[in-house]
Amino acid sequence: MTRGLGGAAARGIALPGLVAALAGLALLLALPVLLSASLLNAAIQMLIAALFACAFNLLCGQGGMLSFGHSAYFGVGVFATVHAMNALAGQGLLPTPLLPVVGALAGMVFGAIAGWFATQRTGTYFAMITLALAELVHALAPHIKGVFGGESGVSAMRMPAWGFSFGEGRHLYYMTLFWVLLALLLLYGYTRTPLGRLTLGLRENSHRLRFLGYNTHLLAVLVFTVSSMFSGLAGGLQAVNNELGNYVVFDANLSSSVVLNSYIGGVNMFLGPALGAALMTFFGLAVSDLTRSWLLYQGILFVVVMLFMPTGLAGLAQTWALARRRCGAQRLLPLVGAWLVALALLSLGTVFAIELLQQLFSTDYRAGVQAGAPWPAVRQFGRSWAPGAVTTWLVPLVLLATGTPLARWAGQRWAAALDADQGQDAPR
Amino acid sequence: MDQFVVSLLNGCIYGLLLFMVSAGLTLIFGMMGVLNFAHASFYMLGAYFAFTLQPYTGFMGALLLAPVLVGVLGVVVERFFLRRVHQHGHAHELLLTFGLSFIIGELVKLFYGNYPVEYRVPASLDFAAFRIGELNYPFYRMLMGGVAIAMFVMIFLLLTRTRVGIVVRSAIYRPRMAEALGHNVPLVFMGVFGAGAALAGLAGAVAGAFYTTNPNMALELGVMVFVVVVVGGLGSLEGAMLSSLLIGLVTSFAVGIDRSLVDLLALVGLGGWAQGVGGLFTLKLSSLAATLPFALMLLVLLLRPSGLMGDKT
Repeated sequence: MTRGLGGAAARGIALPGLVAALAGLALLLALPVLLSASLLNAAIQMLIAALFACAFNLLCGQGGMLSFGHSAYFGVGVFATVHAMNALAGQGLLPTPLLPVVGALAGMVFGAIAGWFATQRTGTYFAMITLALAELVHALAPHIKGVFGGESGVSAMRMPAWGFSFGEGRHLYYMTLFWVLLALLLLYGYTRTPLGRLTLGLRENSHRLRFLGYNTHLLAVLVFTVSSMFSGLAGGLQAVNNELGNYVVFDANLSSSVVLNSYIGGVNMFLGPALGAALMTFFGLAVSDLTRSWLLYQGILFVVVMLFMPTGLAGLAQTWALARRRCGAQRLLPLVGAWLVALALLSLGTVFAIELLQQLFSTDYRAGVQAGAPWPAVRQFGRSWAPGAVTTWLVPLVLLATGTPLARWAGQRWAAALDADQGQDAPR
Repeated sequence: MDQFVVSLLNGCIYGLLLFMVSAGLTLIFGMMGVLNFAHASFYMLGAYFAFTLQPYTGFMGALLLAPVLVGVLGVVVERFFLRRVHQHGHAHELLLTFGLSFIIGELVKLFYGNYPVEYRVPASLDFAAFRIGELNYPFYRMLMGGVAIAMFVMIFLLLTRTRVGIVVRSAIYRPRMAEALGHNVPLVFMGVFGAGAALAGLAGAVAGAFYTTNPNMALELGVMVFVVVVVGGLGSLEGAMLSSLLIGLVTSFAVGIDRSLVDLLALVGLGGWAQGVGGLFTLKLSSLAATLPFALMLLVLLLRPSGLMGDKT
């Protein structure tokens, strides 16, 4: 585990970081002018996913407690908010912009109860217990129609408030942006409080914390509660945006995607999970029309990240900065180039193979196959490919067969360059 | 009374099935400290492989071949994936197996579609073993129970009576010492991982034909297996056996009880009030059967956090 977070906190925020943050903020504020309505909706979903991932990361990356059932707290936030919107004969318990607070409170209360159980154990047990708790809610929800609305879910209406109609995407976007930024600021502030430092201690060495006289169980429950509170807030935001709560939200898919996204982004950096979640949500929406295998790609990407770059995408920048300082950019740039080419070859090969298989094994295609006759060709990447032809299968094979050695070569040279540099340093 | 006997038998056999899967998981955990998230995926793959092989090899051939294939896959996973990330710690290994289980699930959906496949008990095995009162009891259920018991006896004998068993147990107990004495511990790890995967595959091949074979079966069973190992205490075979049976019986009996909390509260005169409140109170216990194991798990966590047979905390 790197201590990037702690280091940044100790040094204070550097000037370039501040400039970048301000530029990012300006861009986020300008988005409604720049984007179409559907893209703006995608941006809202990205923001919510980013907040959820950051809330998850407080528990997982900083507290070292891997939760596989975080959708439960998100879902509780969704339903609490939907019911708050329907309260007082549809008038809503609070003005629309304040409604997500209800989700946050519900997530907090539920998280405190669930967390008390889950944090009885640590490590692997903790992961299993969170999963089982989420499944408990998931199994129970369809039966309690009064609260979770059964198959059709519970729908609600956003009421105009404070002079905003909340009927157009712009209003919703700014409301979501406000809450997400506020939550991220609070979460960042949390890391700099004594409790935030203790959270890191919980991850690094909880035994020692106990020897120092801290009540680690209470501490873990607190961290869990804060994390589920912000998850509930994310759920509340989604409820206000979709005007709907359905028990599908308790599904294991949401829990697993937040784990995948956070690690793809990189859990050691504060904004890593947010980056991962926003990117993956965006790609998920962008390619949902093109492919039915998006989840498979997500899984593969996750495993590749786990195997080859355990610090995630956000860690890549750190690795690059470190290597550049040691060997200089000139020696490394060709390697990066080769690596990028290899990456492109490998991903093209993988995508080609998966899409081809996906088409060949789809029910539509199966129905079109006649016994005895050759299998009909499939269309892909703008031309048709015959499944019986060798060339069709050669394409992904050649792509993968050239990409793998290239990637391996680049990796070896990279390691060799760093080693050689260390060799020069040693005699000093 | 007949209903009671049938529920008892069903519960025992479901429990034995749970044990077949959780035994491998517990062994692997005890040995390598890795919680293999993909373990239930191996169970699912066993069912799908057997379904695919069945037309070519016949049902019995598929039952034998599918676990072998799954075992080979398990070896590949250990050798080329888990060993790579071993240096990053157990959490990393857990996450990797989680990612693999995700990929396996999606691949199964890609090849077989996101719906149950026609994997059935063959007609030659689909007959009643005996009658309990009015009810015919299927022979295939007895076969599943028999396979599980045979497996338990075999593991037990292998671990306690053979030379291989001694090496494996020593590798679990003191891996470094076993290595220093000249045993190839990584090979033992690989073997145990493969064997655990094969056992899960066998369970899947046997049970998939009786229950449904669909892409969700891994998650459904996987969660239940996790509950089993938490209740039983991770790393303890006896605990896994006990809690598998317990959970099997609890679910099986709950399905047969058509009562709700209202009926219970009616005994103390609060029935009307509970009926008015509705929600959780009016739910029939039979419809809650799927949630009872989780409740049991929470209870165990509350009263005995290390699990029924576990001693590590």
